[in-house]
Amino acid sequence: MSEKSTRRQFIDRSVRVVGFAGIAGAAGLLASRVSGDAVYQVDPFKCTTCDLCRTACVLSLSAVKAVNDFPKCGYCMLCPAYMDVTSQPDEKGIPAGKICPQDALKRKIVGDVDEEDPNNNYYEYYVDEAKCDGCGKCVKACLPPAGNGSLRLEIRYTYCVECNECAIRLVCPDDAIVRIPTPGFPPAGSHGEVEND
Amino acid sequence: MEPDEKNGTPERLLDRLRKSWFPPAAVLAAMAGIVAAAYRGYTGPQPPLEKPETPPAPEPAAEKEAEQPPVPLELHYARTAVIGGRDSLHPFRRTLLGVAVGSGDRIHALGDGEVRIFEAGGSFVRAWQVVSDVTCLGTAPDGRIVVGAPGRIEIYDEAGRHLGGFAAGEKDKPAAVTEVRVFGGEVLVADAAARIIRRYDTSGKQLGAIGTRTKTGNFILPNKWLDFDVDARGVVRATDTGRHQVSAWGLDGEPLGSFGKFGMRNAEDFVGCCNPVNLAIAPDGRIVTGEKMVARVKVYEPEGRLLALIGPENFDPNCIHIHLAVDSKGRILAADPVRREVLVFSRVAKDEDSKQ
Repeated sequence: MSEKSTRRQFIDRSVRVVGFAGIAGAAGLLASRVSGDAVYQVDPFKCTTCDLCRTACVLSLSAVKAVNDFPKCGYCMLCPAYMDVTSQPDEKGIPAGKICPQDALKRKIVGDVDEEDPNNNYYEYYVDEAKCDGCGKCVKACLPPAGNGSLRLEIRYTYCVECNECAIRLVCPDDAIVRIPTPGFPPAGSHGEVEND
Repeated sequence: MEPDEKNGTPERLLDRLRKSWFPPAAVLAAMAGIVAAAYRGYTGPQPPLEKPETPPAPEPAAEKEAEQPPVPLELHYARTAVIGGRDSLHPFRRTLLGVAVGSGDRIHALGDGEVRIFEAGGSFVRAWQVVSDVTCLGTAPDGRIVVGAPGRIEIYDEAGRHLGGFAAGEKDKPAAVTEVRVFGGEVLVADAAARIIRRYDTSGKQLGAIGTRTKTGNFILPNKWLDFDVDARGVVRATDTGRHQVSAWGLDGEPLGSFGKFGMRNAEDFVGCCNPVNLAIAPDGRIVTGEKMVARVKVYEPEGRLLALIGPENFDPNCIHIHLAVDSKGRILAADPVRREVLVFSRVAKDEDSKQ
């Protein structure tokens, strides 16, 4: 402190320094909360597919989508996540009803194709994200013991608008929306370019 | 040059700067930072919050139960004993991976990294540790016990002495061993990775393969598990889960037929994506199957006629396996890996069954 400073000047300076530090700290805190170093994601071990991902997201079609973990998938002909195995069978004995209300879970035959007997085929299941609304019905139906548990819900960053406070997180009864660090991930705002159909 | 005595000192200059533009500019910059940070995730007006019309979806299949058989069944079973359960003196605390019947109808169970042997009545005889990562066990008529692990088969005598072992599968693709049986001096190994049953002699030399002569070349195993058993005549019965069938094979790999189909309404059918998941053959040739999704055990004639049903009320609904064995008296041993107990089912008259 200068010898020539008065008490009033000292107090004035101190108040300014403390005020400036406080404002800068608050700004830094807010900036870090929306930075690209951390994102919201669904913890599959906590998620109970309660359907709130579908209804709580601020987007008209939720940014939460079902994804299939192919190494875990059984490539079943009678996939319990794809078809309602309890529904009325068609003339070939295959259940006619589907689990997904949006018809977003699709399949295609992989490997050799047996046109006569579908039981001899392996099917790859994939999600049409333009239709999937994150309801999680397929995820629930794929859980063991019915299926292999290869489907899970995931926040897709091509759709997520990265709200400061995720609207789904606020209502999730299982605390399954978690903040995860993503070092090296593109900063917030640099994705989200894909439009919902 | 000498600085001005009054206005030229560095301290005075800084003081003047602070008093003039620096404080308001700093405050403005901080406020701008806050506003920018708060709106960083804002991408303009949001689309209307209208949700797409969603027609009522059917309930997930796993929550529905298969209908019970409309026709009366010929045989009836009742649970007569529980071995290794929670209240047992020798409970399985972590795992229960398999069950087999040894000489004298002794019950062999694999779990907690051990083979545990019980008398037919359920009293504990002995236990010994086996190699880590074991997946299944089988017994030989001479008392030897064979256990399977990923890419390995290990052979023990009845006292637990390690007699040897061999690698199973290919060099670059070890077998995913899910079942092992001993028949006529051969060790038969289910390889769920290659989707075949491999035949070995006890030294580990591969003698052949079963299951390759299907239309698609191998078993179809969405659940990545292959189970089988061999009857007294050397006919191999295997679970072709993706096809919802029990298929029969000669030891030379010749297909001998199959039975079973998918169905949720009739008890003789197999439910869900992939069933039956487990299988055992009784001494009289009858076939015992275990199913998941609707956890139940069924008994069939070799031709596929359903004889008996042991219902889901006996098992944990989350079972993805019910490991099976049948002793010389026809008692069915069913290992529930979720509750970690071996259930013993004995034939009873119809009235006794209904009391259970």
